[in-house]
Amino acid sequence: MEEENQAYQVKLREFEGRIASGEKIEPGDWMPDEYRQQLIRMISQHAHSEIVGMLPEGAWITRAPNLRRKMVLLAKVQDEGGHGQYLYHAAETLGATREEMIDALLSGKAKYASVFNYPTLNWADMGVIGWLVDGAAIKNQTMLAQCSYGPYSRAMVRICAEEGFHMKQGKEMVMRYAQGTDEQRIMTQDALDRWWWPTLMMFGLPDDVSTNSPALKRWGIKTRSNDTLRQEFINELIPELYLLGFNVPDDDLTFDEESGNWVSGDIDWDEFWRVIRGDGPCNKERMETRQKAHDDGLWVREALSAYAERMQKRAEA
Amino acid sequence: MTDTQWPRFEVFLQDRPETSHRNIGSVHAPDIEMAMMNARDVFVRRPSCISLWVVPVDAIYAKTVQEIEADPELFRDRLGDESSVDKYDIFRKSSQRRAMTFVIYTGQVEATSPELALQKAIEIFGDGTTYVWWVCPERIILRSQESDIPSMFAPAKDKEYRQPRDYKVVSAMQEVKREQPGKGGR
Repeated sequence: MEEENQAYQVKLREFEGRIASGEKIEPGDWMPDEYRQQLIRMISQHAHSEIVGMLPEGAWITRAPNLRRKMVLLAKVQDEGGHGQYLYHAAETLGATREEMIDALLSGKAKYASVFNYPTLNWADMGVIGWLVDGAAIKNQTMLAQCSYGPYSRAMVRICAEEGFHMKQGKEMVMRYAQGTDEQRIMTQDALDRWWWPTLMMFGLPDDVSTNSPALKRWGIKTRSNDTLRQEFINELIPELYLLGFNVPDDDLTFDEESGNWVSGDIDWDEFWRVIRGDGPCNKERMETRQKAHDDGLWVREALSAYAERMQKRAEA
Repeated sequence: MTDTQWPRFEVFLQDRPETSHRNIGSVHAPDIEMAMMNARDVFVRRPSCISLWVVPVDAIYAKTVQEIEADPELFRDRLGDESSVDKYDIFRKSSQRRAMTFVIYTGQVEATSPELALQKAIEIFGDGTTYVWWVCPERIILRSQESDIPSMFAPAKDKEYRQPRDYKVVSAMQEVKREQPGKGGR
């Protein structure tokens, strides 16, 4: 027992040394169980978020105001499906199976980003989601592209390159509407009012209460803290939104001369937990839509399997 | 029929003629042809692909250097059947630098088993630093052809709106700033 523990400590030190020197851990390398479990949890939640994230925007594809906006939205939603695939792959290299992960999502056991449980009520939501929600996601993903696990880091490098398009098409739309008609400005401000707080929650719990963070930091998975990323995001967004003549729904927002930070009012973490635990405005609808897509696709999967089987038999005959 | 999981296929993508195929992820499919189609849909939404290879995961003999070091018996008593010499494609990861850590095609060896192919690969290609080795029989890999380029890869070129550079938001924001000095401050 004592010897086993010593051997473990030696391996752990070697593992942490590799991470400290900037090496990536690859499938097959030794890793602590907790590193594997934390990564599976994070990566699969991230994959689920991409897949569920297709739904709020997907609902507007048929209602896009012109062909260009329609092609852009279609391409963005398709990218999100692709990103979900890259991420499921990364989790599979750690021993999780695609089947387990999808089951966990559909049965409601798995979590995904709470922001996707809010409804998309008008067309300007497409612009605001792109600029705010994708902009916030990029902050997190740019950090994760440097993480210590090789397959996750490589998936993130690819995702970041593609997310740039998502954020910029949204920002372009918001800027255009800022300079547009009264109706467009009102519509955009309405979208900002609804998405501002859910976006700030995307960065996760404050540093002093986030329980997962210490291990993730020590093992080079998260190299920057939730609050640091959130503050950076607020500092970038506020001046530009003001410049465009928009507001955010935060009466307590102040500028702190000393730190140069925009300091936001209190985030409603009770709401965050309510939505995460299933009681958000669209949780039920999202899962029903996902389940329906899964069920409706069954005949295609069955047909492909039947075809593959028949070809296999023919080849053997 | 039950709704069960299909086998997984690793995907290798080549960006330009002067670069080698690199592993970019995997797809699930009922057979290798479908895996090629899925790989195209999942990994070629941007115009940076001229060739794709797909291969079933269990056809790849993969070892990290850590695994090789931990198993001194790895290359012992594994003489293959001399009558069944195969060509093996060799892939390796040789960098830990950001965005450069892919498992990349390196070359080919002939051997009678994957273990012996790995042993040979280490002799031939192992002079630099290597962190991961993948060995795969050449004949099992499905490769896209030159003639597939127009239908599989070229269409992505027309979709400029998928590129961030198609959106001039940085210069547009500077324009707004110039027009409204003093706004956007505290």
